[in-house]
Amino acid sequence: MSNEEVVLFLRKNVISVTCVVLSIAMGVVWYMRSDRLPEAEKVLADKQQQGELLAANIEDSNQLKEQFTALTASNEAISNRMIRVGQLAENLQYFYRLESETNTKLADLRPIPWSPPPKNAPKTNFTPVGFGLTAQGDYAQLMDLLRKLETGEHYCRVTTCTLHPLTEMRGGQIGMTINLELLAEQ
Amino acid sequence: MAPPQTKKSDAGLAVPPWHPNIRIVENLPDTKVVRTAFFVNGAAILVAIALLLVLGFQEWKLYEVGKQINAWQRQIDQDKKQSAEAVAMYQSFKQEETKTKEVVDFIASKPVLSEIILRIGLMTPKKIALDGLDFRETGVSIRATVKGAPDRASGDASAYEKQLRADKVLGPMFRDVNLLTMRRNSSTGRLVIELFCEYAKGPKKT
Repeated sequence: MSNEEVVLFLRKNVISVTCVVLSIAMGVVWYMRSDRLPEAEKVLADKQQQGELLAANIEDSNQLKEQFTALTASNEAISNRMIRVGQLAENLQYFYRLESETNTKLADLRPIPWSPPPKNAPKTNFTPVGFGLTAQGDYAQLMDLLRKLETGEHYCRVTTCTLHPLTEMRGGQIGMTINLELLAEQ
Repeated sequence: MAPPQTKKSDAGLAVPPWHPNIRIVENLPDTKVVRTAFFVNGAAILVAIALLLVLGFQEWKLYEVGKQINAWQRQIDQDKKQSAEAVAMYQSFKQEETKTKEVVDFIASKPVLSEIILRIGLMTPKKIALDGLDFRETGVSIRATVKGAPDRASGDASAYEKQLRADKVLGPMFRDVNLLTMRRNSSTGRLVIELFCEYAKGPKKT
């Protein structure tokens, strides 16, 4: 086909040729850009997720400041109720004070040697410190002592406790042997 | 004069054109009612329009998605600082919370003995006199003397065991209540019993 014939053909079919050329061009563009939509949708999903997460963080933290302040204050109060591991005299003084408050007699009071937690143990803020004591008194006095220990100034848990009468007579003196732990700051 | 009759065999033969066909068919004008070019152009235009619509729809969607991405990005940029502050505060909150939780776990790890003693004192029948209480890691051992004749006392001891098991306060705290020993005190003649109440929950460690 000569050049003249080509020109003649193009002149004769100008509309269809233009349409075909445009169609090819648009097809190429459509094909080349067809990957962009899924990519953009993926980016949109990520951004949306990130945005929603940030918004949820902000929404959830509405009262966080007040709660954090309240928690910090309560932890300060907790901290004030802790004994200190090394302060033996002050720790024993607590028991003697309870003795005089409850009119019981502490026949024996001994701290159980404290050993630091092993290295691979999970880190804790507080550590229990053990004490052993033997008290004497009547039932009401000993119950008063036990209640004051359990609900008193320091956080306490009684691990073992033995109650036994000291005399044959009912309603007389009772002996109480306790092993307990007080929560301490390290 | 009549025309000469042709033979039957000559009638079936095609007669050759009487002059050569010199028309160039391609160059002749289209004389159909609707020209072929109309259909060709129409089809080409339709295809082009269809492709334009597909391409346009794709580009419009891309534009919309891009617009949404920008909107989310603006929102992210706006919230980022505030969110980071909230997350940092939450971390501090969690750290503080562990302290409180440690204390709660420490207290909850053992029963409150004074409450158990008071309850045992309240629910023990007058026929039974407590001789001693021994709180161990796993449970409570109760030593007591049962008043009355031994034949009735053994029934009272058994009833006391059931009463401990069914008590509305102590019952849920104990997994099991067992009468371990029952013997007669040689000096008093009374029945001495020992019961063991096993805690429902094992000892916890903090």
